[in-house]
Amino acid sequence: MNGGLTKHLNIIDYTLSSLWRRRARNVSVLVVFAGVIFLVASFQFVTGALTQFALDSLRTAPEITVQRLSAGRQTEVPLDYGEQVASIHGVREVVPRIWGYYFDEVTGANLTVIGVDLERMPLGEKLNLTLAEGEVPEPGASGRVLVGRSIKRIVESKGSAYLSLFRPDLSQASFAIAGVFDAATDVLTNDLIVMDIGDARDLFHISPAAATDLCVYVANQEEVPNIARKIAAALPDARVLTRAQISQTYQVVFGWRSGFASVCLLTALAAFVIFAWDKASGLSPEERREITILKILGWETSDILAVRFWEGALVAGGAFTAGCTGAYIHVAYFDASLFRPVMVGWSVIHPSLRLVPSLQVSTLLLIFCFTVLPYMAATVIPAWRSAIVPTDSALSGM
Amino acid sequence: MLLLLACLAAVHAVLYSHYRHRLTEYEARSGLRQIATAALGLSDLCIATEARYTRHPAASDPVAPFMDHPGAIEHFPTGSFWAPPIPGGLRGEGE
Amino acid sequence: MLIELEGVTKIYNQGQINEVVALRDIDLRIEAHTLNCLRGASGCGKSTLLSIIGCVIQPTSGRAAIAGLQPARMPDRFLTVHRRRCIGFIFQNFNILPALTVRENITLPLVPLGLSRRAMAERVDRLLQRFSISHRGNFPAGRISGGELQRVAIARALVNDPPLILADEPTAHLDSRLSREFMEYMAVLKQAGKTIIITSHDPQVTEHPAVDRVIDMKDGRINVS
Repeated sequence: MNGGLTKHLNIIDYTLSSLWRRRARNVSVLVVFAGVIFLVASFQFVTGALTQFALDSLRTAPEITVQRLSAGRQTEVPLDYGEQVASIHGVREVVPRIWGYYFDEVTGANLTVIGVDLERMPLGEKLNLTLAEGEVPEPGASGRVLVGRSIKRIVESKGSAYLSLFRPDLSQASFAIAGVFDAATDVLTNDLIVMDIGDARDLFHISPAAATDLCVYVANQEEVPNIARKIAAALPDARVLTRAQISQTYQVVFGWRSGFASVCLLTALAAFVIFAWDKASGLSPEERREITILKILGWETSDILAVRFWEGALVAGGAFTAGCTGAYIHVAYFDASLFRPVMVGWSVIHPSLRLVPSLQVSTLLLIFCFTVLPYMAATVIPAWRSAIVPTDSALSGM
Repeated sequence: MLLLLACLAAVHAVLYSHYRHRLTEYEARSGLRQIATAALGLSDLCIATEARYTRHPAASDPVAPFMDHPGAIEHFPTGSFWAPPIPGGLRGEGE
Repeated sequence: MLIELEGVTKIYNQGQINEVVALRDIDLRIEAHTLNCLRGASGCGKSTLLSIIGCVIQPTSGRAAIAGLQPARMPDRFLTVHRRRCIGFIFQNFNILPALTVRENITLPLVPLGLSRRAMAERVDRLLQRFSISHRGNFPAGRISGGELQRVAIARALVNDPPLILADEPTAHLDSRLSREFMEYMAVLKQAGKTIIITSHDPQVTEHPAVDRVIDMKDGRINVS
């Protein structure tokens, strides 16, 4: 047993010197492979981090959200829907909300406007804690808003003390900035303008008898699916979203099947594996000669395969370590800046993410299985064919 | 070889301590994020604000990515990173 | 008797258009602790016979017993282990790996044995000293002289202390001084109890006083003269 271990240590020694002898080739393979793993690992780390962000942050989202669809598109919800929903047994509170998008033409920024009655929302009285400066306006106070940090920057860049927005009839509505959200909530509030529900209704010209959606709060969490079904049955043109469905969205929104970003990464990986297979399949005359001599000198086919295995393992292991380390640094220190073009696209306002890369064993194992194992298979399997080199040529004047 | 392994170990020790620090900071601030979500009824992260179905993947209607045409090719860069909203939610179907 | 061959025949590409009968009905007995030469023109089958004795290839027919093993129908793995234990090879052109150091070249046969690093180093150091090439231990083998290369090849063949040494045309590309030196080493090894078989048509080899027997070959057969 001990002899077997020592033999493998000797083989690893030989492999290391063999790798060093062909260091130019091996270093270039390692660098390219590390680059591929870097991309795959970065993608996994950043999507894992964002998913975790979402699952943690949205844990206190409304249990049920009721929207209204018309011709497949979201439209206003009549407030008397809220009364119907409130009458369902188990519903604790129904709070209407107005929210929508505002496009700022000067900066090209898409902003989200939310109008809500904070007195009726859970933890509304604690919203002050989420502000870096200022304070939450009094309930019903008109013309005062809370904004995300990017919006504060936009307002300051215009050299104005007020935030001016246009109504659908192009009349102007001005708002004083009462408070700015803390950087810790950037990932949720960066593009938000939070105002009194009356101001939002005025800004978007939404009827007093309507809202954008209804936030429904339930007394017993176990009853959420039942109540959601009852709401859907009572309101045929409504779309009923539960908190569980919001979570589910964020578990698949960055999935491998989403978008050509992951396809590109997998394509790069597949190309690299094919390249590795091609390299491993052919033997140079020197390598052929080396194998023949080794076999004559008493090396078994399994020993030669062990050398190939350790060559592949050391290169792949080195690339995996370098790639994952680089990916961690990329995601944690640089906020995955290489992926910015696809993560934020044409958005002009960017939150500071301060991502925590998903460093779970399962994530690392997934990256390992997607990168190292195919590479090992691509180098060791063809090496089997190469290792069965006829030895009789060695004694006839090689 | 041993020197290389020692350097690697040192680098990883530094990165791991950074990871623990970042994790602690994250957990300390998650309470603030949960307050913001609860008080404002938020449903989505604010990262990609170029289109409403990438700004609100959980809450936007399934038609949103196809507003221009049912078979419209993706024209937002973030569409390659953010999957289209799943057709979730219950619709009343005359139970 | 260390080596016994009875009716050994070797046919390459049997049944095909390019069939070659390399050996025909070879009967040969070689005693232990002797120095033997296989002599003959190119293509007479010397190297093939050496390959069979060296358990590198198996005969097509006939019976062969090499240092207690009958290689016919043996799996490749057993032949490899047998070679490792019992046979040392000195190739034509020596076939040293030039990118490895002298020390690494000599260590090659020891790697599969599972010896500790220290044990391997001790054996190699002893041989380097014995052949007066200790000062070249860490040199790349591609940068040493022809004479030193020859000694490295012999050292590598001896590192596992095999009872049988096989050398295929070892002096083919050496000058007369180095050829003479080579045969002196072989004589010493014979005195030390090794059995040696050398293929050569070099008179400096075949007519050396230490040679016990010269076996002539022609057209795949042994000439009984």
